[in-house]
Amino acid sequence: VSWRSALPPSERPGERRSAEMKKLYGKDAAKIQGMETALQLSFDRNCDRKQPKYWPVIPLNL
Amino acid sequence: HTTGTDAVHVEEEQRLRTELRERFLRSLILMSNKEVYFSMYERVQVQAKFGASDIDILNFQVSDLQTPLGVQKEAILRCQDIISYSFDL
Amino acid sequence: MQDWCKKRPHEWHKYINQEVRVTAHDKNEYQGWVFTVDPVSGSVVLVTLHGQQSTSVRVVMGHAVRDVEVLKEGDEEIAQQLNALFMPAGSQVLTN
Repeated sequence: VSWRSALPPSERPGERRSAEMKKLYGKDAAKIQGMETALQLSFDRNCDRKQPKYWPVIPLNL
Repeated sequence: HTTGTDAVHVEEEQRLRTELRERFLRSLILMSNKEVYFSMYERVQVQAKFGASDIDILNFQVSDLQTPLGVQKEAILRCQDIISYSFDL
Repeated sequence: MQDWCKKRPHEWHKYINQEVRVTAHDKNEYQGWVFTVDPVSGSVVLVTLHGQQSTSVRVVMGHAVRDVEVLKEGDEEIAQQLNALFMPAGSQVLTN
């Protein structure tokens, strides 16, 4: 048992997400999580670099 | 408690969900840097070069967005505003 | 079909490789072969094959889907054509 397991789940977002992924995708969870992480990383990187603004400013579908 | 039959059912559902999701993620990867046409609510039509999506499919990051009012160099589209989108292979 | 987004994976999975007509918000209709339905957003990925020259992909967002009607069952050839479009080069099993 590591010290990390003493923390409440809310303080271990990475592990909580892994557990959720495992429940949804079973034995292939790591593969899907890997693809998603790559996708999110490129989204975050592009947003940091390009500083895009929402278009339109006000949502069309409220 | 989980019976053997339930466990098989759960595994089958996970397998199907994995296949569906992997295919969708591949479609997003394929779309990067392509010109994409968006049909949005209120009959708004725009086109842009697709950049990336967040994993919850809530936001699309795009470039050179051509709107009825001009071009926006960098933009985020809310997926809730979009009815459908298309691109050529 | 307001509950499209709440369907289970096995219900969505049945549409893979089928030709369908999707009716969306505002009576927009789209026809094509289903490559997949995203289990997170319910979005339907449709492929239109116009012979060898051009292929287009249309994705209808899950929240806008009102109805999905199956027009035609796909066969193994359709399945292979769709897979070849989306799978990265190198991971494809080449036939012929």
